[in-house]
Amino acid sequence: MKKVYKNIFIAAFIGPTFLVLLAVVFYPFLYNLVISFSNMNLRHIKDWQIIGLTQYIKVFTDPTEPNFYAVFLKTVIWTFVNVFFHVVIGVFLALLLNQQIRGKSIYRTLLILPWAIPQYIVALTWRGMFNYEYGSINLVITKYLSLPAIEWLKSPTEAFIACILTNVWLGFPFMMVVALGALQSIPHELYEAAEIDGANWLHRLRHITIPLIKPVMIPAITLGIVWTFNNLNIIWLVSNGGEPSDQTHILISFVYKAAFNLYRYGYAAALSMVIFIILLFFSLFFMKKTRATESAY
Amino acid sequence: MNKKLNTKKLILKLITHLTLIIFTIIAVYPVLQVVTISLRPADRLLSTSLEIIPENATLKSYIELFTNRPFLLWVTNSAFVAFVVTLTGVVFASMAGYAFSRFNFIGKKIGLLSLLVTQMFPATMLLLPLYIMLIYLGLINSYLGIIIIYTATALPFCVWTMKGYYDTIPYSLEEAAKIDGCNQFQAFYKIILPLAAPALVITGLFSFMAAWSEYIVAAQVLQDTQLWTLPLGLKSFEANMTTEWGLYGAASFIVMIPVVILFLVLSRWLVSGLTLGSVKG
Amino acid sequence: MPGGIDLMKITLTYLIGFITILNLTSCRKQEDLSRIVIWHQMRVDEREILEAQLQRYMHLNPDVKVEALYKETEELRSGFIIAAIAGQGPDLVYGPSDQVGPFQVMDIILPLDTLFEKEFLGRFNPKALVYYKGHLYQIGDKLGNHLTLVYNKSIVKTPPQTDIELIELGQKITVDENRDGKPERYGLVWNYTEPFFFIPFLSGFGGWVMDEEGNPTLDTPANVDALNFIKDLRDKYKIVPGEADYNIADVLFKDGKAGMIINGDWSWAGYKKAGIDIGIAPLPKITKTGLWCAPMVSSKGYSINSNVKKEKLPRIIDLLKFLLAPEQQLEVTKKVNTMPTLIELYEDPFIKNDEIMVNSQLQIERGKPMPVVPELRAIWDAMRPSYQAVLGGAKSPAQAAKDMQQLALRKIKEMNE
Repeated sequence: MKKVYKNIFIAAFIGPTFLVLLAVVFYPFLYNLVISFSNMNLRHIKDWQIIGLTQYIKVFTDPTEPNFYAVFLKTVIWTFVNVFFHVVIGVFLALLLNQQIRGKSIYRTLLILPWAIPQYIVALTWRGMFNYEYGSINLVITKYLSLPAIEWLKSPTEAFIACILTNVWLGFPFMMVVALGALQSIPHELYEAAEIDGANWLHRLRHITIPLIKPVMIPAITLGIVWTFNNLNIIWLVSNGGEPSDQTHILISFVYKAAFNLYRYGYAAALSMVIFIILLFFSLFFMKKTRATESAY
Repeated sequence: MNKKLNTKKLILKLITHLTLIIFTIIAVYPVLQVVTISLRPADRLLSTSLEIIPENATLKSYIELFTNRPFLLWVTNSAFVAFVVTLTGVVFASMAGYAFSRFNFIGKKIGLLSLLVTQMFPATMLLLPLYIMLIYLGLINSYLGIIIIYTATALPFCVWTMKGYYDTIPYSLEEAAKIDGCNQFQAFYKIILPLAAPALVITGLFSFMAAWSEYIVAAQVLQDTQLWTLPLGLKSFEANMTTEWGLYGAASFIVMIPVVILFLVLSRWLVSGLTLGSVKG
Repeated sequence: MPGGIDLMKITLTYLIGFITILNLTSCRKQEDLSRIVIWHQMRVDEREILEAQLQRYMHLNPDVKVEALYKETEELRSGFIIAAIAGQGPDLVYGPSDQVGPFQVMDIILPLDTLFEKEFLGRFNPKALVYYKGHLYQIGDKLGNHLTLVYNKSIVKTPPQTDIELIELGQKITVDENRDGKPERYGLVWNYTEPFFFIPFLSGFGGWVMDEEGNPTLDTPANVDALNFIKDLRDKYKIVPGEADYNIADVLFKDGKAGMIINGDWSWAGYKKAGIDIGIAPLPKITKTGLWCAPMVSSKGYSINSNVKKEKLPRIIDLLKFLLAPEQQLEVTKKVNTMPTLIELYEDPFIKNDEIMVNSQLQIERGKPMPVVPELRAIWDAMRPSYQAVLGGAKSPAQAAKDMQQLALRKIKEMNE
């Protein structure tokens, strides 16, 4: 293929995507960058000025309760645990569904329901299920497992676990669908050949399935990490805005509180930039490790 | 020998079914709770009993929804927006993903990375500048604005998924096609695109969901009740301490149905017999 | 090179098609003097009345088009701020009085003093005219938003007058038949997560959230006493549940599993709908101080966006006068039991004779006006964690009061820097 033609081809194929993204992301990003160096807040909402790095210094040194580092740690735990279970459960179910079994399409359809239902009401339903006296989760724990009931929403750790459980429930169907699609790229002949060679289930998983679904799964996982890191809804709804006592916050809910409860736009913008940079470095590292930008073949 | 193998297979099947049933129950139970809410009289979000069919169950919420509320208008609006976003998302992503998968060019890595980068900024902070921008462009109270924004949210994932999937399809196929007289473009849409059906389904479903359930941007941009999409309509049942839970539950349940139908229709291609059968390894 | 042309053609066709479809759907509205937009946060029953009243108005004034748009309270606030900073937004913004503080500071609403005649404003209950920094910024059409004691008449015959009676009655009607420490019925319930519901106790013990200058006054004996009192209700007298947010408290009362609930005027309609025969009573008196528990009382009303053009103001004022007129206010009062803001209406037989309205008015008189300064937000934020920690058993009342004060001071400083 001629070089000119190749370049036109690439530009025509990639162009629309980048035009759309530039249109939407470029200006807002610059705007936030500028605001993060300013004193925009309640008292200076229209007449804000550039004041340098003050807001960034505040992000790292302000004695917020809990402080930045504790919240950051919690955010990392939140992200890692969630994505881990999303992927493990998602891939596991996809593997089960990828066999010849009866009622496959019924299972498949019912299993995507958590993704299909509007999040707001179902998150509040989960909050109800975690209620100490009337919630169904404690009922299962006490009646069927004969364990003592858990005060889910009253203590920080349990409340945090409650948020994670809810979010795992919400997130696994998406990974399952991605994994189901990815599994289609594996030719059956590969498994047949492996079976003849006497490879067991675990071998096949490790040497055929995982490497071959990787090109599709890695992007989903990377984005899953970024999304989970910035997922405000579930924490906000299940823990009712950081309860008990602001102990269940992750970084994004801090941004939200600063910007919309206390009108600290400059501070919130600086914190957003910090979140952005953390995610950027993390993704670079992750992609280098998994070589996601390189082709599998 | 054969019999032993059969019993082993049978047990395996049984375990598979059992596991699937357990997970299905876990997936369905909270959804059933939402249905219960929709059937409860007098807007109770929670209950002190665990019955699935509540005491004094009533279909009043569903009747109210269709007769007294502009529910069908919201559905139509949302369906239109979601349809356009899905179409654009899938078309743009299938093209961009292909270029990223098949060619080496300057800035390829940065290009891929920058797709990801767009997802890293907390969305709530983009609201004010986005709004200012849309005012300048005259796109407040228009679908064009939110469609572009939704497409932009969906595209990064879609492009990456498409690229990942194309990567698993061998080059040899296109080369064979070119020998048969196809050009690059024909090779793309006649040979490669049909093979990437599962990835197209994933990106389509994802784009659809991005548009179907988005609330924050829509609330700021669509300030005319005639233009309201479903999430905005749903939110209108919610008021400070006086939410109409019955309607909210009923609407949430109905909102789920198109997604399920879409999935059912699409899943034929998600797990299709195409499965690179022509590739042979 | 046929392939290249093919490709370009398809892409171009698609793009053009795309843009045309979307251009058709975008309806960009011209700045229009006869179109008035209201953003409000009214609940459903109020919304329906507003819509009907606007229809009537448009019928009387065929050249004006009024559009009302509902947004949830918090989103109304952030949405209005964003729109107004960008130089847009609705002409009228309707909401609780405490949004006046931040809106005024941000300079996104107009002072109303000069826009309305003295005689007109003189007809209103002063509690419904929201002044801030010496100017009028909001005119209320509803007064209240106040907490009262709501009781289930089939369980409670006469509502308690004092804290002692409250505890006695509470213990009498709390039922724990199997003695498992989880009563089947509680004496009293309320929302443990929002400090708004704690205010009556605080004021009953003689405290308040801030002084005249807006400085927090939370580290006080009154606050400690009040926190001790609610802790005792839970741990010592065991008449309230161990865990309750708004929805739990609400459903306990709706299911008849609580005899009394502390809740606002917005909740009454829902309880009647659930088939509960409710009574409304003012919150009890605290014996130790001799003070009535005083909830925060606020008005809800209209403010005008500062981006509104001068030529448009007369039309907006005309609409406002219509919406605030006695007929409209009385219609709302009769349908949803809210207290009107025109003094002349207080003589109306409906308000003078209805049991709920009488008690509601009594509670409003005993209540204290909610501060409108933006600092209140910071104070809520500072009270919330410690209030929850006391009820969760994680903090002592004395410690909680101290922490509330410190956090409030810091948040106010952060907000105003």
